[in-house]
Amino acid sequence: MNEFTVKMREIARELLEKGEVHMIIGWEKGRFPQQSPPAFITSADQIDRLIWDEYCLAGTAKYLLDDKFEHRKVGLFARGCDSRAINRLVQDGQIDKEKLYIIGICCSGMKDSASNETALKCQECTHPNPVVFDLLIGEPVPESDKPERFKAVEELEKKSADEKYEYWTKQFSKCIRCYACRNICPACNCRECFVEQYRVGWQGKQNNLAENQVFGLTRAYHIGDRCIECGECARACPMDLPLMELNRKLIKDMNQLFGPYKASLDTEDTPPLGKYRLDDIEEFM
Amino acid sequence: MKTITKANMMDAIAILAQDAQVLVPMTVDGISKFSLWGSEGTLAFSAVNTLLPPKDSLFPQTEKMYSYQVENQTITSLDIHNEAKQQIIFGIRPCDMQSIQCMDDVFLTKTFVDDFYRVKREKLITVCIGCNKTAPTCFCESMGGSPAGHGAADIQLCDLGNSYSIVAQTAAGQAVVEKWQGLVRDEEGSVPEVSCTLKVDAQGLPAQLSKMFNHPIWQEVSRKCIGCGTCTYLCPTCYCFDIDVQNNGNEGYRFRCWDSCMFSDYARMAGGHDPRPSKNERIRNRFLHKLEYFNERYGKNLCVGCGRCLTKCPVHVDITLFIDKVKEVSSIESVQL
Ligand code: SF4
Ligand code: SF4
Ligand code: SF4
Ligand code: SF4
Repeated sequence: MNEFTVKMREIARELLEKGEVHMIIGWEKGRFPQQSPPAFITSADQIDRLIWDEYCLAGTAKYLLDDKFEHRKVGLFARGCDSRAINRLVQDGQIDKEKLYIIGICCSGMKDSASNETALKCQECTHPNPVVFDLLIGEPVPESDKPERFKAVEELEKKSADEKYEYWTKQFSKCIRCYACRNICPACNCRECFVEQYRVGWQGKQNNLAENQVFGLTRAYHIGDRCIECGECARACPMDLPLMELNRKLIKDMNQLFGPYKASLDTEDTPPLGKYRLDDIEEFM
Repeated sequence: MKTITKANMMDAIAILAQDAQVLVPMTVDGISKFSLWGSEGTLAFSAVNTLLPPKDSLFPQTEKMYSYQVENQTITSLDIHNEAKQQIIFGIRPCDMQSIQCMDDVFLTKTFVDDFYRVKREKLITVCIGCNKTAPTCFCESMGGSPAGHGAADIQLCDLGNSYSIVAQTAAGQAVVEKWQGLVRDEEGSVPEVSCTLKVDAQGLPAQLSKMFNHPIWQEVSRKCIGCGTCTYLCPTCYCFDIDVQNNGNEGYRFRCWDSCMFSDYARMAGGHDPRPSKNERIRNRFLHKLEYFNERYGKNLCVGCGRCLTKCPVHVDITLFIDKVKEVSSIESVQL
């Protein structure tokens, strides 16, 4: 058993036994060695299920929405991406930070279950260390700004409009509209998604290129300045759509227009598109 | 036994493609699925099962049912789209063959025959390839199937290394094999034995589950679920659909499209009431439909053990682990609840 797992169990036991929290969200082993899905521990006798290994791919924070109205505290393990997701939910007014106990973990990256290589989302991660926590496990790992994470976007920008269109139509023809990208996304936290507003009819139910694009583009715009770059959408997509390329295009443009911005590093900063500034640039008006 | 070399099989498919749409396993843009023979992509006959099942060929994700035109509140034209082309699914795996049997039960038996499905089904020929290797996630044997083949396929092939053995199992299959005169030969050989490494005990599940509607197990298994439609949309047997209309001015069409019981709005009724308000009830419905209700109605599992959902669920909700868990619940405990 690795050092982190031992630590995690120790902490979880203490928190649960003291009654500090009523549940701990972490990870456990699935049936296969490359699977370490989220685990929800509510009593001391379940603590030995908790593990930490290189397959803890899924985020823990989105599950906080399930207990939005719970009065007791929830404990959760959080890496850089999870901690930013927590900030995202707090900033969006979804959860109350006072009801969380955040056990930060300094993360050295996860492996993709299929390829066994470092997961793409971890290769491109700029904040492996938690940005908010009550307690920290491990020593902070080196961080870098990874400008190469915009490489795919830069390549796409070189293409002509027709080539770009061809590229994205190919991608969106693959979409099966399972909405895994939306459901796993911490920035997708609307109580009712535009997709389900049937009476208004913004999103039709047919699976075709037009509807798939409406979905993908509306979602991308809707999370535009709130995307924390956790990469969960692209990881969850069963059809391998390069969803991060869309998100990063928006982030890149916003960095250029409004100055460098990384979402949810703290809860005080207002996202660029949500900010009202008298001296805002108004080139388009 | 009758065999055909792998090289000759390509010619055999080309012969069939002259007067039918032949769908073969292919990898297209990184996604393995059944695609039209000759279309862009790489053939994937040696993969175990494809990521996308061939379900779409009988039950498309979106299907136009009829188109209409209206003038002064009178219908001036009405077109029902219930015609089908001859289709051949070449290289379907035994699990997916079983899924067609499940869909046949739903769409063709017990009082209602669904015409949109029927016309396609009647014009479908299935050529099944037995699996001589299984993926770690395959568990068809535990669900009543066998990796070796499926008795309902029109033709059953088995991979012998350099060739396939051929058995025509129906008259339609026989007619196809006759078209391959000159390509098929007689050869000694034996079909390799295969077995799934993943095994679950599904014996007695329907009876046990029927007593577990209010069991705390649902709370436990649904906790992970994020409520997406991945498991149901990749599943070869999930057959739920919704019907809606696309109206543009004086014309339009009615269509049906896949729906998923995992979606939050699936069971929502007019007026807003939702009998399955949380993922707890939704996961319960999915698992009970697959493992209990379908058995009660049609005498078979609605899970064929293809392993797609447990591979692709973003948070690894695993139906096999669920079955294990149900088996751990003692029968006394389930009766009391
Ligand atoms: S996860 Fe992928 S396939 Fe599913 S809706 Fe999102 S983009 Fe489409
Ligand atoms: S859009 Fe994707 S990368 Fe951005 S927050 Fe949502 S899941 Fe994470
Ligand atoms: S079981 Fe998995 S794939 Fe199915 S809805 Fe839940 S999270 Fe999505
Ligand atoms: S429930 Fe899962 S394993 Fe069973 S048939 Fe459907 S996708 Fe395959």
